[in-house]
Amino acid sequence: MQYCPHCKVKIKGQHTVCPLCAGILEGDGDPKEEVFPFIPTIYQEFNLFIRVMILISIIVVVACFAINIIFTKESRWSLPVAAGVLCMWISLFFIIRKKNNIPKTILWQVGIISILSVIWDKSMGFAGWSIDYVIPLICVLAMIVMAIGAKILKISVRDLIIYLLIDVIFGFVPIIFIIFGWLNVIFPSVICVAASIISLSVLILFEGDNMKNELKKKMHI
Amino acid sequence: MKGRKPVEWTKLDNAAKIFPPTSNERDTKVFRFVCELRDEIDENILQEALDKTMPLFPFYQTVLRRGFFWYYFESTELAPKVAREYKLPCSMLYHPNRRNLLFEVTYYKNRINLEVYHALTDGTGALAFLKTLLYYYITLRYREDFKDRLPVLDYDASITQKMDDSFLKHYTGKRIPKKVKIIKAYRIQGRRFMDNRIKIIEGVMPVKEVLELAHKYDTTLTVYLTALFIRAIYKEMPARSRRYPVVISVPVNLRAYFPSVTARNFFATINVKYDFAASGDKLEDIIKEVKECFNRELTQKKLQEHLNKLSALEHNAFMRMVPLILKDTVLRLANRLNDRQITAALSNIGRIAVSPELEPYINMFSCFTGVKRPQIALCSFKDKLVVSFSSPFTGTDIQKNFFRFLTDENVPVVISANIKEI
Repeated sequence: MQYCPHCKVKIKGQHTVCPLCAGILEGDGDPKEEVFPFIPTIYQEFNLFIRVMILISIIVVVACFAINIIFTKESRWSLPVAAGVLCMWISLFFIIRKKNNIPKTILWQVGIISILSVIWDKSMGFAGWSIDYVIPLICVLAMIVMAIGAKILKISVRDLIIYLLIDVIFGFVPIIFIIFGWLNVIFPSVICVAASIISLSVLILFEGDNMKNELKKKMHI
Repeated sequence: MKGRKPVEWTKLDNAAKIFPPTSNERDTKVFRFVCELRDEIDENILQEALDKTMPLFPFYQTVLRRGFFWYYFESTELAPKVAREYKLPCSMLYHPNRRNLLFEVTYYKNRINLEVYHALTDGTGALAFLKTLLYYYITLRYREDFKDRLPVLDYDASITQKMDDSFLKHYTGKRIPKKVKIIKAYRIQGRRFMDNRIKIIEGVMPVKEVLELAHKYDTTLTVYLTALFIRAIYKEMPARSRRYPVVISVPVNLRAYFPSVTARNFFATINVKYDFAASGDKLEDIIKEVKECFNRELTQKKLQEHLNKLSALEHNAFMRMVPLILKDTVLRLANRLNDRQITAALSNIGRIAVSPELEPYINMFSCFTGVKRPQIALCSFKDKLVVSFSSPFTGTDIQKNFFRFLTDENVPVVISANIKEI
C-alpha cells in the first residue's frame, strides 16, 4: 500500500500521485489491490455520419440558393428544394429518436408524412393529391408494414397492438373526406376505410383481451 | 398465439415518479452497492445465485415504459446476466424507448457490484436484494462449510410486502398548506470529465474511532460527518459565495418511521442548512446546528407531513389527467428548482448486518451514487466504516479537506479511487 504523508492516508492500488492532494506518495503500489477496473474514455462519435449528412444538406441548400440568385432571378425554385430537405430531416429526426421502437416509429411517420403532404399540397395550390392518395395509402401501407414487420422481427403482438390500433383508427379519417366530397379520386380512400374496418374487426375478435389490457396499462391515470 | 399470457404491470411509486424524466447521461440516477468478499468471485456461481434470487424479487424483472399519462413497469422475460465490470460506475441503466432491466450485477476481483436505477428501489430495497444474492452466492460457493445446516436469510417479507407501495399506504390525505419558498443554496462549480464519468474516492476507516469522535462532540455519526462535510465545502467556497447557505440533502429511510418492509422506494429527503454568514465557521457551531436540524426534521409528525406533501401531487386529479409529455416537462422544471436549493448530499445506509454464519466470508460493504453534485454515502459493516465520496468534478479539494479532518484526529483511513489522473 502507498502512503501520502500530507493527507496521512494509506492508498490502495497503484497511483502516481495522491488521489486527494496530488502529492508525492511513499511506498510502492500494488496493482493487485485495485478495486475498480480501468475503463477507457469512449468518445461519442456514433453520430459522425449524421453530422456529415447535415453538412451535405446545408451545402446543397446554400448552393441552390446561390445559383438561384445568380442565374435565375425570376423564379424561386430553390425554396421548394430547401423545404424538401427540411421535411426529410423532420422525418429523419423522429426516426432516429424513436429508433428502438419500430411500431411507434412507423406510426409517427404516418402522422408526419400526412401533415407534411397536406402542407405541400396547400402551398402548391391544393390539387388534392395529399388527401386523394397520400393519406389513405400511407395508412394502409403502415398497417401492412406493421403486420409483416412484426412477424419478421418477432415483435410480440402486445407491443404492436396499440400502434396498430391508432393507425387503424386514423384509417377511418378518409370517411370524412368522402362524406364532404373533398376528393377527386375516391378509390384509395375506399380501400383505406375497408382495410381499417377489416383490421379493426380482426383486432377486436382475436386480440380483444390483449387490446383491453394494453389500453388499460397505457392509459392508466 | 404469442402474448396470450397477461402481462403484469405496476405503477411507479411516488418517489420513483421523478426519476425517469430527470435522468440522463450527466445524472443517471443509478446507485451502486458493493460487497467485497474474502475470495475472488466465481462468475458461474454468481450467475447461479442471481438466478435463484430473481424469483424472490419478481418486481426486479421489469422494464420501464411510457404510458399516455404515466410511466409504468412491465414484467419481462429478459434474464439478468452477470458480467465482469465493463463500464463506468453508475452509468445509464434506463434509456427511453429501449427495453432493458433496471439493474445490473457485475463483479471485479473480490467485489460483487449491484447497480440499480433509482426508480426501481432505494438503498434499503437494493440492499435486501444484495443480501439475498450474497446468501445464495456464499452458500453455493462454500457448499462444504454449510453441509450440516444452512444459515437463515434475515429478510422476512412476503412478495406482496416487497411489492408494496408504502407511500400509498401511509398517505393520510391531510394537507397542511404551506408556502414553498425557494432559498438559493451555494452550488459547487467545477470542471467535469469529458465522458461524464464520476470520481469515486472510497475511504475505509474503523467505526469505533469515528464514533468516539462523534461522541466527543456529544452527537451521532451522521451528524458529525455531515458537519465535517459542510466544513469541507466551506473551505473551498469563494468569499463572494458565502452569503449563500450550504445545504446538504439527506435521504431518510421512511421504513424506520412507518411500518413497511417494501423492496421498493420508501424514502424522503430532508435539507440540512447552514449559513456561514450568520453562524460562523467553528465546527462546534456547525455540529450544534446540524444536530438541531436533525432533531427538528426527523419526527414522525414532520415526516408524515413530508410524505403527504409528496403524495398529494400524484393524488391531484388535475395533475393525473395531464399527458406524460407535459408531466415530463413540469417534473424537469421542478427538479431544476429543487436542485437550486441543494449544495451536496449525504446518505447514510447505516450498519449493514448479515447472518452471523455469512460474516466470515465478507470483508466489507460499500455504496455510492451517480451524481451531478458531490455526494457522500456511508455504510458500515462490523468494524469497518466506508465513506464513499462521489463527485462529477475533476477537482478533489473537498474530498481532501474531508478526509484530512479525519486523519488530523488520528483516524487511520485507507483510500481507493477509480480515477488516477487529476
